[in-house]
Amino acid sequence: MTLRTRHLGGWAVLLAAALVCGLGAWSYAQARGDRTLAYAKARDTALAQGKRHLATLNSLDGKDATSVSAGLRAWRDSSTGPLHDQLKRTSAADAKTLTTAGDTANGKVTSAALTALDDRTGTAELIATVDVEVTPRTGSPGTQRKRFTAALARTGDGWKVKALTAMAAGDGG
Amino acid sequence: MSGRTALAGKEVEDEEHLDVAEPESADEPGRRPRWPRVLGALLAVVLLATGGLLFAEGRELRDTPATGNLALTDAEATTRVTGDVSNALGRIFSYGPDATALAKDAAREVLAGKALQQYAALFGQVEKQAADQKLTLTTHVVRAGVTRLTGTGAHILVFLDQVYERRGRPATTASAQLSVTAELRGERWRIVEISSI
Repeated sequence: MTLRTRHLGGWAVLLAAALVCGLGAWSYAQARGDRTLAYAKARDTALAQGKRHLATLNSLDGKDATSVSAGLRAWRDSSTGPLHDQLKRTSAADAKTLTTAGDTANGKVTSAALTALDDRTGTAELIATVDVEVTPRTGSPGTQRKRFTAALARTGDGWKVKALTAMAAGDGG
Repeated sequence: MSGRTALAGKEVEDEEHLDVAEPESADEPGRRPRWPRVLGALLAVVLLATGGLLFAEGRELRDTPATGNLALTDAEATTRVTGDVSNALGRIFSYGPDATALAKDAAREVLAGKALQQYAALFGQVEKQAADQKLTLTTHVVRAGVTRLTGTGAHILVFLDQVYERRGRPATTASAQLSVTAELRGERWRIVEISSI
């Protein structure tokens, strides 16, 4: 090997490395800039977090005052905007009535889907069916089947529930 | 053989000596500097590593089940499948005491596979009930959301309101929630499975 070829070889290796780096950067930029991919991910995140929050908002441990206030705090953590404000406003009264009632509810989302998503403004609409197992302080537990539409909003802390509507029969118009 | 290699090696050495003597590296006389080569190698390694890392990051971004699901990302297909399924459900679950044939015909048109069998099995009962109780059922979809959508298949969550009218009695409304599986057959989406939630 002459020095010239060694020299050239060195440059070739460097060029190849630069090319690999460039390709990697291009591939990454493609993935980063892929609007559809970002949208699909936002959809799945909104759905997963919305389901979790909906379960929380349908659950409460009514054992004593401490567990009720913990449950109400969880409700506030799952909500944002109007729903959050409303829960905050009524929290003292809610705590009192819920502690007196002493019912324990355990909500489970059985099925859910997003019906709309705007990932630019960070809003989504979710529909879900929830089975709520209610255990009264006295008496036997029962399960209520409910259906909801929920408006979700993206916050600094992920997607949260902005508004929640239980849809009874005939409500849908 | 070994002599030749030694010779070749010698030649390189000679050239290196010659190279050093060239004016462009005159600022460091005596020995050709090593650092450009070390720097070059280092740069190559850094570039390769960065490239590899970016590539892996990009792959990780892409490698997600999210991309396989076209629900909402393909707005047109999403609207279409919800529309087709909503229409289909409204037609097959709406009938009057003397108008069950309409629903039955609709079923043959919009259902397929297991859903059609289930419907056919139920329909005898439905016909009898409609006639005996003078029952008119009107079903409409109040909300529908696509949970999963591919080019040819879809899963949809549907909220229904069903109005029961029995002659001489006030109408009652009941709610139902269905999980529907649909398949694209030709131009239209057909329901292949229905389960109640």
